[in-house]
Amino acid sequence: MAVAVFFVAAAVAILGGVGVVSFHQPIRSVLSLVLVMLALSVIFLLLSAQFVFAVQIIVYAGAVMVLFLFVIALLGPARELGRGRLRYQGWTSAVFVLVLLGLMWTMLQGVQYRQPDKTDLNFFGTVQSIAVGLFTTYLYPFELTSILLLVAAIGAIYLSRKRIDES
Amino acid sequence: MSTLSIGGSELDASWFLLLSAILFGLGAIGVLVRRNPLVILISIELMLNAANLTLVAFARQLENIEGQLFALMSMTVAAAEAVVGLAILVDIFRVRDAEDIDDLSELRG
Amino acid sequence: MTTQLLALLVLLFPAGGAIVLAGRGWRAPRIFTVVIGPGVVWLSFLATLALLLGKASGDFTYWTWIKSGSFEVPFGLLIDNLSIFMCLVITGVGALIVTYSVGYMEHEDGPSYARFFTYMDVFIFSMLLLVLADNFVFLIVGWAMVGLSSYLLIGFWYQRRSAVLAARKAFVMNVIGDVGMILGTFVLFMSYHAVSYSTVFQGLCAPTGIRIATCRTFDSTSLEVAAFLLLVGAVAKSAQLPLHTWLPDAMEGPTPVSALIHAATMVTAGVYLVGRMHPIYDVATYAHDAVAIIGAVTALFAATIAIVQVDIKRVLAYSTMSQIGYMFLAVGIGAYGAGFFHLLSHAFFKALLFLAAGNIIHAMKDEQDMRKYGGLWRDMRPTAITFLVGSLSLVGVIPLVGFFSKEEILGLAFSKPDDNMVHVLWLVGFATALITGFYTGRMWWLSFWGKPSLQRPVEHPHAPRLVMMVPVAVLAVLAAVGGFIETRALGVGPAAVTDFLGSVFGPPRWEGGGTEIAVTFLTMILATALFIGALRLRPWTAYAPWAQRLLERKYYFDETYDWAFVRPMDWVAAFALRDIERPVIDAAVVDTGLLATGAARGFSATQTGYFRNYALVFVAGAVAIAVALLVLRALS
Repeated sequence: MAVAVFFVAAAVAILGGVGVVSFHQPIRSVLSLVLVMLALSVIFLLLSAQFVFAVQIIVYAGAVMVLFLFVIALLGPARELGRGRLRYQGWTSAVFVLVLLGLMWTMLQGVQYRQPDKTDLNFFGTVQSIAVGLFTTYLYPFELTSILLLVAAIGAIYLSRKRIDES
Repeated sequence: MSTLSIGGSELDASWFLLLSAILFGLGAIGVLVRRNPLVILISIELMLNAANLTLVAFARQLENIEGQLFALMSMTVAAAEAVVGLAILVDIFRVRDAEDIDDLSELRG
Repeated sequence: MTTQLLALLVLLFPAGGAIVLAGRGWRAPRIFTVVIGPGVVWLSFLATLALLLGKASGDFTYWTWIKSGSFEVPFGLLIDNLSIFMCLVITGVGALIVTYSVGYMEHEDGPSYARFFTYMDVFIFSMLLLVLADNFVFLIVGWAMVGLSSYLLIGFWYQRRSAVLAARKAFVMNVIGDVGMILGTFVLFMSYHAVSYSTVFQGLCAPTGIRIATCRTFDSTSLEVAAFLLLVGAVAKSAQLPLHTWLPDAMEGPTPVSALIHAATMVTAGVYLVGRMHPIYDVATYAHDAVAIIGAVTALFAATIAIVQVDIKRVLAYSTMSQIGYMFLAVGIGAYGAGFFHLLSHAFFKALLFLAAGNIIHAMKDEQDMRKYGGLWRDMRPTAITFLVGSLSLVGVIPLVGFFSKEEILGLAFSKPDDNMVHVLWLVGFATALITGFYTGRMWWLSFWGKPSLQRPVEHPHAPRLVMMVPVAVLAVLAAVGGFIETRALGVGPAAVTDFLGSVFGPPRWEGGGTEIAVTFLTMILATALFIGALRLRPWTAYAPWAQRLLERKYYFDETYDWAFVRPMDWVAAFALRDIERPVIDAAVVDTGLLATGAARGFSATQTGYFRNYALVFVAGAVAIAVALLVLRALS
């Protein structure tokens, strides 16, 4: 049963990924990405990452992608026209990426996974377990991340403000 | 050692990693091939999602919560980066129509 | 006022004067330079007098200049009768000459005027340092600085190409001497591991002279080598054969410079050196003989060339060369007292001759060719009289000082027991004295007698200013009566100089007998006869034109040196410039720059500006890292 769920979700994710890359209209790319994120969130759930599943949908698909949609709405539909200037880029990129994937796969062969830690799988991935880790051992990165968000927000406001003295 | 027991069935952790690799590769191709800056940013988000999948998969495999914590941080950072990138893009769009990223190539030489 | 302080003051006065003049003199009113320039030399003279009257002596160390492990070079001054004697000559005659040049250099503009006195004060300081130093290192420092001052002063009128060339020639030949001095010091250091005179001399066992209780005889070969090397330095500085060619050219400098440096003081540094190093030379007999031979040969050589010179200063230059040959002869045979007495008397009458000639040159608008003078006896009577006093002193006519000093040397050479080589040298000296009479007479008659030449630049030359006449007069008096302090040449009477220096050199090693006094008078009479006869003996050159050419070309020394040394060096320099400097060194520097810019240009091709290119490079980099990791994993 879990296997079937996985394969369906995986297929949807891959289709969505292909869609992201292939559609000419950016709005369709964004929607494909949303599809990918939803598929991934199901897989997260399979992997006992309940909290991550929720955050993925709420924050990632719900906020970040909406932001993308807003920007696309702001900037208007844009289509890529013509072949572009760098003619060799297409096949070179494909070669490199495939090689990279092959190498990553090769690296995975012969990997010896260590013994898993002894955890309670019922407790694993719940909000409580996340909170325990986040607020005790990893408090410092947590605070830094919040500062990062603050900085990003300020930066975004500053960068996109209306300039009066534009030439 | 790579089998995971999920919901009664046996899955292999390497399947998740393979899926993640494929998504990552798709995202990389998107960054390299597409010329619309927005689509490039979206492709980067796809790559980040693939990385998150890897993290969560390993977290489950090793039964260590740190992978999920890292995935959370990664999401936060991805959000921040998307915000700033979009702000820059909006700024560029004010001045000129940037449909093709090859047009934005003054920093040469 | 302690001796230690006084000795330092002797050095500090001219040094201070030079610094002050260098800093302020060129902007200050002329009176400033006039007071400070000669004034500090007079102050130094007074300090030296104080040392003399206080019978000072001592070896003072002021501070340690170099200290490296066991090697130590102190800044120290040695006050003994020899150094006081030399200081008196330098500061006394020097003060007179510097005072004289207040008048002689009056046509210079402000900065140039100050520059002259700065250089003169630097010279006085360097010369004093040379004679006062108590170790080899500071001797060489003073030696080199004196060479530098000579260069600066010969080339004083640097707008003149001939002056610049002459200055360069003098400096280069002096440097050859400096190298000899330094090598000699190295050899001595190797044997004695010290640079102070006291330590080195105590290590010698001299057969005569001051006996030191503890002495060790070292390898006498190395001492001979050291003595010869030091002799190279003395020969270069004193313009003896074969390093003499710079002295006639040095007459390009102003006349006071010729008087001070190239007559009274710098060129006598070689004599001082042999005297100061006499413990070494007393042991190194071959080098000691070489000193005497070089001196005698140079004396004769220079005298013959002086016969054909037409420039009054060149006659005096060759005359100086010749008289220093006498001094070398004296110290070379061991007659140190006589040698230094002649140094003193030569300082008097040669400075006198140069300054009086300077009066003429100044009045004749810088004309130095004697053929254009003539009849100056009528127009410049006081100068003519003083010049006559100097000339007769040079010839060696009693009772002037030159007679006593020169004849003492010749007498001692004649009467040295058991030494036939010295008797041959006496003969050379005797011949030189006769020729000296001739060329001096020719010089005097040509300038002062007869009808005024038609080519005279000035109809009625003016009388010299007081500031120029007084030093000349003082020197004339000294040249006239100075001889009476040492009349040993006559076998009777005082021997003040020899006795004064006896504390350094020891008692005179032999005395003259009766025959030498007869020979002395014979020499004087013959020389005087030639002096007078020069009035009539002029057209001798018609009989032997080849001799005339040989002498006019100075025995072709300049041409030989040019072919043997100057041209090869020029060729080497041109070769180095063309084939080494430009292709290799310049190319290395320039090519490094070109390489950098070329590489930068090449690398800038990677900055295409296209985002997608950069992203592709990212991925390629990731691929490379993955490959590297796999390889590492495979290897381990």
